[in-house]
Amino acid sequence: MGFVLDGLAAEGYDREYSDGQLLRRIVRYFGPFLPTMLVVALSMFLVAALDALLPLLIALGIDRVGDAPPEALWGRTGWLLGAIAVAGVGSWGLNFLRQWLTAKAVGNVVLQLRLDAFEAVMARDMSFYDEYSTGRIVSRVTADTQDFSTVVTLTLNLISQLLQVIIIALILFWINPRLALIALAIAPFIVAAALAFRRVARRTTRQARRVLAEVNANVQESITGIGVAKAFRQEQAVYDVFKGVNAQSYALNLRQGLVFSAIFPILGTIAGIGTALVVYAGGASVVAGAVTPGQWFLFVEAVAFFWFPLTSIASFWSQFQLGLSASERVFALIDAEPRVSQTGAVAPARLRGRITFEGVVFGYTPFEQVLRDFDLTIAPGETVALVGHTGAGKSSIGKLVARFYEFQGGRLLVDDHDLRSLDLRAYRRQLGIVQQTPFLFSGTVRDNVRYARRDASDAEVVAAAGSIGGGDWLEALPQGLDTEVSEGGRGVSMGQRQLIAMARILLQDPAILILDEATASVDPLTEAQIQEGLETVLHGRTAIVIAHRLSTIREADRILVLRQGEVIESGSHAALIAAGGHYAQLYDTFFRHQSPDYVPEGLPGA
Amino acid sequence: MSAVVTPNAEFTVAGARRYDRRSPTRWVLAHLARFWPLLLLFFVASTLTAVLFAAVPRLTGFAFDVVLQREPDMRALLVLALGILAVVLLRGVLDLTASFSIETLGQRLERNARDELYQSLLGKSQTFHERQRVGDVMARASNDVRQLNPMMNPGVALITESFNGLIIPLVFIAFIDTRLLLAPLAFEVTFVFALRSYMRQLNPISSALRRQFGLLSAGLNQTITGIEVVKGTAQEAQEQARFGRDAARFRDFFVRQGLVQARYLPLLLLAVAFTGAFAHALWLVSRGELSTGELVAYMGLMGVLRFPAFISIFTFSLVQLGLAGAERILELMRVDTEFDEHAQAHTARVQGELVFAGVGFRYQGVPNARAVLHDVSFRVAPGQTVAIVGQTGSGKSTLTKLVNRIYDVTDGRISLDGVDLRDWQLASLRQQIGVIEQDVFLFSRSVADNIAFGLGPEVDRQAVIAASTAAQAHAFVMALPEGYDTVIGERGATLSGGQRQRLAIARALLTDPRVLILDDATSAVDSATEDAIQRAIYAVQQGRTTLMITHRLSQIRRADLVLVLHGGRLIDHGGHAELLERCPLYQRIFARYD
Repeated sequence: MGFVLDGLAAEGYDREYSDGQLLRRIVRYFGPFLPTMLVVALSMFLVAALDALLPLLIALGIDRVGDAPPEALWGRTGWLLGAIAVAGVGSWGLNFLRQWLTAKAVGNVVLQLRLDAFEAVMARDMSFYDEYSTGRIVSRVTADTQDFSTVVTLTLNLISQLLQVIIIALILFWINPRLALIALAIAPFIVAAALAFRRVARRTTRQARRVLAEVNANVQESITGIGVAKAFRQEQAVYDVFKGVNAQSYALNLRQGLVFSAIFPILGTIAGIGTALVVYAGGASVVAGAVTPGQWFLFVEAVAFFWFPLTSIASFWSQFQLGLSASERVFALIDAEPRVSQTGAVAPARLRGRITFEGVVFGYTPFEQVLRDFDLTIAPGETVALVGHTGAGKSSIGKLVARFYEFQGGRLLVDDHDLRSLDLRAYRRQLGIVQQTPFLFSGTVRDNVRYARRDASDAEVVAAAGSIGGGDWLEALPQGLDTEVSEGGRGVSMGQRQLIAMARILLQDPAILILDEATASVDPLTEAQIQEGLETVLHGRTAIVIAHRLSTIREADRILVLRQGEVIESGSHAALIAAGGHYAQLYDTFFRHQSPDYVPEGLPGA
Repeated sequence: MSAVVTPNAEFTVAGARRYDRRSPTRWVLAHLARFWPLLLLFFVASTLTAVLFAAVPRLTGFAFDVVLQREPDMRALLVLALGILAVVLLRGVLDLTASFSIETLGQRLERNARDELYQSLLGKSQTFHERQRVGDVMARASNDVRQLNPMMNPGVALITESFNGLIIPLVFIAFIDTRLLLAPLAFEVTFVFALRSYMRQLNPISSALRRQFGLLSAGLNQTITGIEVVKGTAQEAQEQARFGRDAARFRDFFVRQGLVQARYLPLLLLAVAFTGAFAHALWLVSRGELSTGELVAYMGLMGVLRFPAFISIFTFSLVQLGLAGAERILELMRVDTEFDEHAQAHTARVQGELVFAGVGFRYQGVPNARAVLHDVSFRVAPGQTVAIVGQTGSGKSTLTKLVNRIYDVTDGRISLDGVDLRDWQLASLRQQIGVIEQDVFLFSRSVADNIAFGLGPEVDRQAVIAASTAAQAHAFVMALPEGYDTVIGERGATLSGGQRQRLAIARALLTDPRVLILDDATSAVDSATEDAIQRAIYAVQQGRTTLMITHRLSQIRRADLVLVLHGGRLIDHGGHAELLERCPLYQRIFARYD
């Protein structure tokens, strides 16, 4: 129902693949189901033929009954009735076969495509995830693969409807070309009306969509604001605003709704005019002896039968394009080249943790270089704190060590291995990462601690969690290690997320640690637990810490001050403060206020 | 508690209508009853459309009869053809009328329901709004309200159309010959059963399929959001296996749904009925009891039954969804959260002496709820600043919510200026307690309007600027494209957490509360911003009793009183120096900063 209304939201899409390329690939996915699809095609053709046969048989029946006496009736029409029953039941049965087999094939093809897309996504390096939002990737893998299958279903439906229309039109022309022309005269009007309507509806939709987003946002705000309005006793004021917004929303929605509800009455009326025309012209032809009454009936039925397939033909093209765009997005995802490429697959033995940057050149995009000819050596077991303004290259250094991005020049060594020669999965098992906002998977805290080492025993998990910050942070979780966290870590506080991430690291026991300290503020006790946990986690590992906390910098073995991708100062906190250079300035800007002795300027006691 | 329940809503609109809220159906009907002429118009137009739809095959039948009689009557044929044309045109007009009426009805239902819900929300107590999750209210006010419109069109519209399409052809057939009702009636009876069993089979599978799609997307979403962890810990295989399982399960549901849809029985029934009807009619024709024209009319009318046979399950589920949404809206509107308030409630200007005496709290209506606070006792002198220190879940924010009676204590008592909070008049109490939340909500209005929000539109610009200056907001406001007239949220005029907080402080300075509750978890990235925020907080503290949830060590140090909460217990309280002396937990906090 309602094909005319489908696919109105189609947008222009820049094609990188030609329609032919896309269709060939779509067909290739259906390759394994070739026999099935052949059965589908055959039953589709038969259904169309049987459906077209039905009115023809009835027309014959009307002519044959004529002046037959009751006793001769079944002799004359019995086989016809049998044929009508067989055609009706056969059409249903074949249609069942077609739909069921299509569902099977499409289900399997979509599954295969999703697996391919997922695999492609997992093979990408981080630059890919920076470029595309999570929502866009997810919709490519789930929704676009689904839309892809609509190309097939749509094409099948279109072919079967076209077949029916063609078969009936042929029969009509074979019986009486003049009458057939009259009967088909409405076809162009139906198609034109459907196309014109789609133009209007698309414009209305586009306009409405823009304004509606705004109106919806306003409604949303006026509801979110109720709490504040009440606190300040401003109910009448916000109600007046709401009333205006609600009225606007009503007017817009109504306009769009009226446009949409007009189409079927209009199409039905055009088809009806065709019926009136055929009733008159057919009757005249019968009188003139050009057609039989049964054939006249066939023409009348044909008009009523015709118009619905015609409207879906009118809307086919844009829906088809929509489906092609979806499959193009999926194929673009599958075809994208990973940028990180390994030259070897050496699985390193336990690493000692020496990290060496030799003249490394790196930029996220070709237009801006973050690191130029960067040299740095970090000794095994050393904790290095990186400080500097945003964009100085602090996190880039960590991300390169994790091999999340490809660098453009120089060498990066871990112990004596060139990073490019390593088997990445084996290497990353010896690498621990704590993100600025640690990500937790939905499941229990226990599951999350165990994430990097699924074979760890319960005792090991408990021991790891207990070693972080004395373990008393577990008491603050409602069910301790069995506390459920929802995706991303909702359900536990930001500080608890960091503690869980540290327990995860401890269980993983990596040789190298990259830690991006959180900037969000955490309650002071949890902060103390985090600092204690940090000491445990850093012990005996090489660590690169992107530091935001005063206490962390002070504990580091070496502070590196970065500016525009270069190390401009290095040393201990006390030495650097005494030197009064860039670090002293940074301290004053970013870290001074974290001290308990801090008194803001302009306040008594300053 | 023997007290008088505060009657009715806190806010009403003059002349607002009341609707029957006893059940979702009654409520929807009550709304529709307001537009009864439109509803009537829809039903009449829709029914007449169906009548005229059936009239076309009937007139066609007459046309056959006038042509097939011994002397064909061409004039009569022309008249009948013109009759069909007239019927078709009139039908078009009526069909449009019906569509427009139901569409208008649906839209008005949505608009009025939203208005009613909004008024009802405005009428709820502040307590209600503090307790309710904003997202939940939002979902009902947008999704559930929006669902009312498709419930009418296409929901009710298509069901009415299908119902008419089943009944009216029968009437026409009965007028031709009542015996002919045999086949269509047999079809319709079996059709109803077949449709019901179809929906019973399809419903669970379709919802399972939708759920599985949700699971698939959510799982993938999680993998990609956490991609750094997945890759960093080399757990790609784990994720791939999970995704594969989810996607295969989706495929299984998809194929099962396809099977059920392919087995749609009503179409088979129609084919059988069609054959039977034709045989029956032929028999009557051969006995001379039915004319060829009547046979043609009959077969045409049987063809009209094709439309209801295609009726989709989705029309019924639209009505179900609409009513389920209506139920959730009603639930929200029915909630009553008024506190008991003493008959001779106390009103006075607050001085600010706050005493907690053995205060305990657990959530009501939650079975086996853990107590959130146990036996908390302390005293705050007027004008003092209290810093509350504790971990997430230690009861910090619950403690502050007891002060303005978002919740009432379950044990012990809290008194303000020596009067039990429960004896204060709620409005008087709340007007004098200002709250600055962690997430400051600002309206998409000008900065000046937001600052002056509590005082209504007529506020002196000078007063706004003075408050804003004291709150350290003046400088960044002047840097906005249109200064105080900049509309927040427009053309990139977005504000940082620290800036929003300072606007809230300016707002509080204008309304001048006597007690201030300040949830200050905003993290400043640099010391200059930190300076400004702390100066603003300092300004707003002056002359007010202030309860502050803060993570800033320097602020904790300077507070008059520090409360150390742990697991809902007040484990110690006092000044910085004394706590540093005796409280191990407190010492741990400052351990790294000697």
